[in-house]
Amino acid sequence: MGLNELLESRQFVFLDGAMGTMLIDKGLKMGDIPELLNIEKPDWIIDIHKQYIDAGSDIVYSNTFGANRYKLAKSGKSVNEIVSAGIRCARQAAEGRGALVALDVGPIGQLLEPAGTLSFEEAYDIFAEVVKAGMEADLIVFETMTDLHELKAAVLAAKENSDKPIITTMTFEKNMRTFTGCSVSAMAHTIGGLGVDAVGVNCSLGPKELIPVVKELSENTSLSIVLKPNAGLPDTVTGAYNITPQEFAGLMTELIPLGVKVVGGCCGTSPAFIANLKKAFAGKKYVKPEYKPVSVCCTPANTVVIDQPRVIGERINPTGKKRFKEALLSDDIDYILSQAIEQVHAGADILDVNVGLPGIDEKQMMVKVIKALQAVTDLPLQLDSTNPEVLDAGLRIYNGKAIVNSVNGEEKSLRMVLPLVKKYGAAVVGLCLDENGIPKTAEQRFAIAEKIVSRAESLAISRENVFIDCLTLTASAEQEGVMETLNALERVRRELGCQTVLGVSNISFGLPAREIVNSNFLTMALTKGLTLPIINPNIDAMMQSVRAYKLLANHDKGSKDFIAHYGQTVPQAAKPAAGPSDIDLPYAIANGLKGEGARITEHLLETMEAMSIINELLIPALDKTGADFEAGRIFLPQLIQSAGVAQSCFEVIKEHLSKSGEAAESKGKIVLATVKGDVHDIGKNIVKILLENYGYDVIDLGKDVDCQLVVDTAVKHKVRLVGLSALMTTTLPSMRKTIELLREQYSGCKVMVGGAVLTEDYAKEIGADFYARDAKESCDIAKIVLG
Amino acid sequence: MGSRGRDASALMPLVYECAEELSREISPLYIYRLFPICRKGTGIEVCGTELVLTGNSISEHLEGCDSCILLCATLSSGADKLIRRQEAFDMAKAFVTDCIASSAIEDVCDEAESEIKALLPGKYMTWRYSPGYGDLPLDLQGTFLDVLNAPKRIGLNVTDSGMLVPSKSVTAIIGVSDSPLPRKRQGCLGCNMFENCSFRKGGYHCGTE
Repeated sequence: MGLNELLESRQFVFLDGAMGTMLIDKGLKMGDIPELLNIEKPDWIIDIHKQYIDAGSDIVYSNTFGANRYKLAKSGKSVNEIVSAGIRCARQAAEGRGALVALDVGPIGQLLEPAGTLSFEEAYDIFAEVVKAGMEADLIVFETMTDLHELKAAVLAAKENSDKPIITTMTFEKNMRTFTGCSVSAMAHTIGGLGVDAVGVNCSLGPKELIPVVKELSENTSLSIVLKPNAGLPDTVTGAYNITPQEFAGLMTELIPLGVKVVGGCCGTSPAFIANLKKAFAGKKYVKPEYKPVSVCCTPANTVVIDQPRVIGERINPTGKKRFKEALLSDDIDYILSQAIEQVHAGADILDVNVGLPGIDEKQMMVKVIKALQAVTDLPLQLDSTNPEVLDAGLRIYNGKAIVNSVNGEEKSLRMVLPLVKKYGAAVVGLCLDENGIPKTAEQRFAIAEKIVSRAESLAISRENVFIDCLTLTASAEQEGVMETLNALERVRRELGCQTVLGVSNISFGLPAREIVNSNFLTMALTKGLTLPIINPNIDAMMQSVRAYKLLANHDKGSKDFIAHYGQTVPQAAKPAAGPSDIDLPYAIANGLKGEGARITEHLLETMEAMSIINELLIPALDKTGADFEAGRIFLPQLIQSAGVAQSCFEVIKEHLSKSGEAAESKGKIVLATVKGDVHDIGKNIVKILLENYGYDVIDLGKDVDCQLVVDTAVKHKVRLVGLSALMTTTLPSMRKTIELLREQYSGCKVMVGGAVLTEDYAKEIGADFYARDAKESCDIAKIVLG
Repeated sequence: MGSRGRDASALMPLVYECAEELSREISPLYIYRLFPICRKGTGIEVCGTELVLTGNSISEHLEGCDSCILLCATLSSGADKLIRRQEAFDMAKAFVTDCIASSAIEDVCDEAESEIKALLPGKYMTWRYSPGYGDLPLDLQGTFLDVLNAPKRIGLNVTDSGMLVPSKSVTAIIGVSDSPLPRKRQGCLGCNMFENCSFRKGGYHCGTE
């Protein structure tokens, strides 16, 4: 009998209890590697498994929780040796008893990027190795996970390297989140979508404290729910847990009405806990939770339920945007991030991400941009590409449940895109067009929508995960088509019950006063049942329409959101064109007035040359704040604020130049990197802002940067100055090594170094040309080297 | 923040704003446990564990102690996440939040320490000593965390280079004794920031006694 037969034929399935607690009782020292005992003391391990089987466990977890290449590095044993020995012990104990053996896998012990240094791909490899070593198990369990991204890597590694059933459990704290901030609903939707067999919760708290967690889980999954809590809470000094086996079992039965199906114990539990559990559950009936399907997309910390209109921001897209295209061509990820942050602040719920442009590697860019976006925003993403390879790579790396934009009624598209949607558990936008283009009538578009939904359902993609786009045509060209779109949308919503998507802005191409047309069309579409408008949220009129609609349609209960946004001021149609009447550019820079700085620059560009603005106003103003900083009249936060204003001025100038086809004059390129092993890079980022505002082009390699990559980049861009940062004494050797490699392979550049643990003497000792005491000094050094 | 005692009142609104935002985003946690210790060769063994504290400085620090508290504390990943976000749109805020967070984790440790003192009446204790101070090696961090099961209990991990993640975290050793301990000054000389301290450079003191 396998896991799925057990789940179907039994009211409840019983797991085992703690392994670690039992091993410490047998004499394991704290801080030791418990998995080594699979080889050194197999009789201990077999005995523990046997005790659990005697107590009534249907499934025992092998003693392989930390048996990965990272944690075993110092043990002198291979993953394969330890894991196969662990499975053998469990097998031997289960022999003739009918219990199943689960390959037990815990977290790697290294945090993934961006918090740590481990990449998603490396995490995948580490898990794949464990999965392959555990081939003799009956099922695979991933438990005590706190990072959704790590768990996703684990599940993909299991799915792609074995065909065994999978159970996953994560560990939640009293605040209903894991340590990395993952919510219960995000786990349920993301991991459920990847096709595991049971999902749940283990460790951290006792059964009583986990009631709200289990409740949220039962509302968000149709899978069997697993619960393996601790024996209550530990004493802070002695570490002893506070509830008895009888109390534990009693509390567990109280969770039956919430839908628990698979039960066991974690830290502090023993065979007595399992025996009592079995006794207490005898004769009880499993209660399948009533799960209402919902349309959802999410990131670990933010689940967006599409139970009312949700705004998809359209700005991360190069179409028709020169500046965005330039950013893609020059790998300017910061510009793309700024487009995201602006939309986040404007109130977008979801961000569309399109980075397709001839001349760039779209797949690589998609992965890079997703990683960068997910490091700075919790908004779910809609991956927008016509290339299935790009979608595949993007869906793989995405942390959470994404939306794919898009599939359409063409056979080829259905065949290529839908399997990806299924594999990664995403939602998908279905465009109402096919081989013959966009049909004219509402009926024909509805027919394509129907076809897409039925094809999706044939692959077990449920319809709440298919979002239909009835396609906006341009009113100026096809005026009679506008109502066809809206009528098709209304039918899709009513008859298919799907969510609906529309790119709203297309409607007004070629018309004057586009905002008026767009916002009114948006309201019309919302009343017909549009749930996912794709708009520019930075335009006030659009968000006003959405918020007013939500108020009037009774989504915004008590008008809370509306009042929060418009309660203080009467919404204005347009901001009065602010002139530089009372303040000038130097004043704006000195006082950290970002918006003012940008506006003044725009005005100045009407009468002044871009380079004159830079050389006559911006640079002198920056020099003054620099001098004030050195004299101690202002401090680092103010210096950075001034730099931020200058940055917004430069952005306006760049935009202006790019429109007229010119390029901004660069004072030279500088490579910046936080060295290998170092993940704390705020210092380097401050240096970067300052350097950029003095007109230098900074190639920012980020943190934990491979030594050779610094050299290669310097050579490739013929860079004359390299800046290296290190925060830890332990990473100083990487700095030394990077400098050595630079000296060996590239003679054309100077090296400046900085960071908390560096000193002038040490900088000299490792061969740096300059030691930058603070961010301001790095600018002075750049001036010396590059002018 | 680099003001080193000079008038920075212009910064205070920003500081309050960042402090408030930070306090919303973090859920500070700490764990500790008391262990007997015994001297072993050049090091000090934390009994019943795999941890051996090596180096002269820790031996001196724990002089006269028969046991020690191992303490791990973290502001949680919320702090790192907030700072990372702020870096993308407002570096000044990111910097200020970073400074406040560094100071806040010390407050969390102080809180833990008072709790410990209340639990052990009549005992005498040293100040907190961390891996990386003096000649106590930083590569103890991994074992230190494992002994307290810190990755599982408070989500605290360490990178290969000995950096704690979440970054606003502390591991510390507090010596415990039944009899009064010689009062050692926790002065600048014993501090691992001695070479680089911006307070000291400016002729000031960070205030730690």
